[in-house]
Amino acid sequence: MPAAPRAASRLLLGALVLAAVLVWPLLIEDQFYQRVGALVMLAALSASAWNLVGGYAGQISIGHVLFFGCGAYASLLGFTWFEWAPILGAPFGVAVSLLLALVVGRPTLRLKGHYFSMATIALAELARIIVTNTPILGGAVGVSGPAMPRSVLDLSFISPLPYYYIFGGVLGVLLLFTWWMSRSRMGFYLRAIRGQERAARSLGVPAERYKMYALLASAGFTSLAGSLYAAMLGFVDPDSGLGILLSVKMVIAAALGGAGTLFGPLVGAAILVPLEEITNAMFGGSGTGVTYVVYGAIIVFISRFAPGGLAEILSRLKAWRARHAG
Amino acid sequence: MTDALLSVRNLEVRYGDLVGVSDVSLEVRKGEVVALLGSNGAGKTTVLNAIIGLVRPTAGQVLWEGASIAGQPAFAVVGRGLALAPEGWRLFVNQTVEQNLRLGATPLGNRKREAELLEKVFAFLPKLKERRRQAAGTLSGGERQMLAVGRALMSAPRLLLLDEPSLGLAPAIVEMMYEKLQVLRDEGLTLLIAEQSVELALDIADRGYVIQTGRSVLEGPADELARSPEVQRAYLGIGGDEAPA
Repeated sequence: MPAAPRAASRLLLGALVLAAVLVWPLLIEDQFYQRVGALVMLAALSASAWNLVGGYAGQISIGHVLFFGCGAYASLLGFTWFEWAPILGAPFGVAVSLLLALVVGRPTLRLKGHYFSMATIALAELARIIVTNTPILGGAVGVSGPAMPRSVLDLSFISPLPYYYIFGGVLGVLLLFTWWMSRSRMGFYLRAIRGQERAARSLGVPAERYKMYALLASAGFTSLAGSLYAAMLGFVDPDSGLGILLSVKMVIAAALGGAGTLFGPLVGAAILVPLEEITNAMFGGSGTGVTYVVYGAIIVFISRFAPGGLAEILSRLKAWRARHAG
Repeated sequence: MTDALLSVRNLEVRYGDLVGVSDVSLEVRKGEVVALLGSNGAGKTTVLNAIIGLVRPTAGQVLWEGASIAGQPAFAVVGRGLALAPEGWRLFVNQTVEQNLRLGATPLGNRKREAELLEKVFAFLPKLKERRRQAAGTLSGGERQMLAVGRALMSAPRLLLLDEPSLGLAPAIVEMMYEKLQVLRDEGLTLLIAEQSVELALDIADRGYVIQTGRSVLEGPADELARSPEVQRAYLGIGGDEAPA
């Protein structure tokens, strides 16, 4: 196929998908599905934020819930302590996350591969335990947002639709940022670091600095996702805001779709979240274990057959078709 | 002494309890080609990595034009005019030949200069130009070595460190590789070549150093070293009680 029509058809396809994403929740009445839609957006947002450091820079953090929790707690603690609208706490969550990323990233980013992942798990668990045992941070009980919305700023809506569009808007900004970054010098360096960190360093790429930039950007957006989540749920406790499962979900969503690709985390989230919500609805409270069975199967499948996620499978299919076309 | 571009004195590198090198000294003067010889595991790669800043020396000095660079991060060292073509090439296999080369220009931070150097490298290694849009992972062994050298040249270094440029290549390719190095030498580029293949390296070098289990054991003009029975022994790792595993 010639290049120009091909680019045009891709653009058209992109526009169609975007239109579908924007209009879809308006066409269905069922709030269950609208809520699933909002949760997909949120999961896509956190997985894309994780993707900056986990995918593009190749530093597999399994402790991103640390930043997510920062955002969530900042929002609701702002309300608990000062009666602020939860979203006003978001900038503070981001600030604390950036600070934490700086402090935590300096030693941990020197670690390679699994060691980095282990360190991030340890730090996130540490945060969970500290918060659980600190009454002023809500302790084991957690903290809540406003029971009744006082103004629009509280971002407390009955319908899931506003959340869908708010999350989607922030996700859009993040995707633009990611796209810009991946095409900039920084993206170039990050790919080199992911491919061959030692070689990248020997060529004069300041690897530690660029990994830190990626971690900072990632932490900031992850924290924002946490704040939005807290605003929607109006409640956070150590498990829902700092539990390791949240970190794992970010990793799986990105890895399933394709880590280090722009749309990979979105695809992953669009598959995983409905899967989880539907199994939960089907099996009820007693069936929550089924979700984890499915997650486990996905992890095994990805690591065994397609470490590059669905993006890899897609490009393999394309290569296969190209070989068999002519 | 004062005209040394690079001088390494009593270098020691430990990785925890492991000793990478314990006492290596060498000197490279401007315009010279110096061979760093030793058998597999003698510590040649560690010496080069310590010079370029990939590992931190635990003792000793590394001086570049008289100023200490020991323990500085690689990006600072490379910015001063050193470049390394690493052992086993360490290419970015998923990226194109051209992208690999462009990464080599990182220390310059200058797009215009980068474009000029790219043309220069392509003129020097025309094979790379043919393959510029190909992923580095699809190149043959010889082409990969060329790319590793070309990538190092992209920072317009004043001293090029080469780690085992003959490793894993067919004899005909090795010969071609060394012809290219000869051209660089004739253009006045200073080279420090770590090699197991003593004959090749001493053929092109002005002077050489022999290290054995992490220590400098011998140094001298290339032709003298080439005749020395000790070199044969150090290189082959036979005789003496320090035979490497």
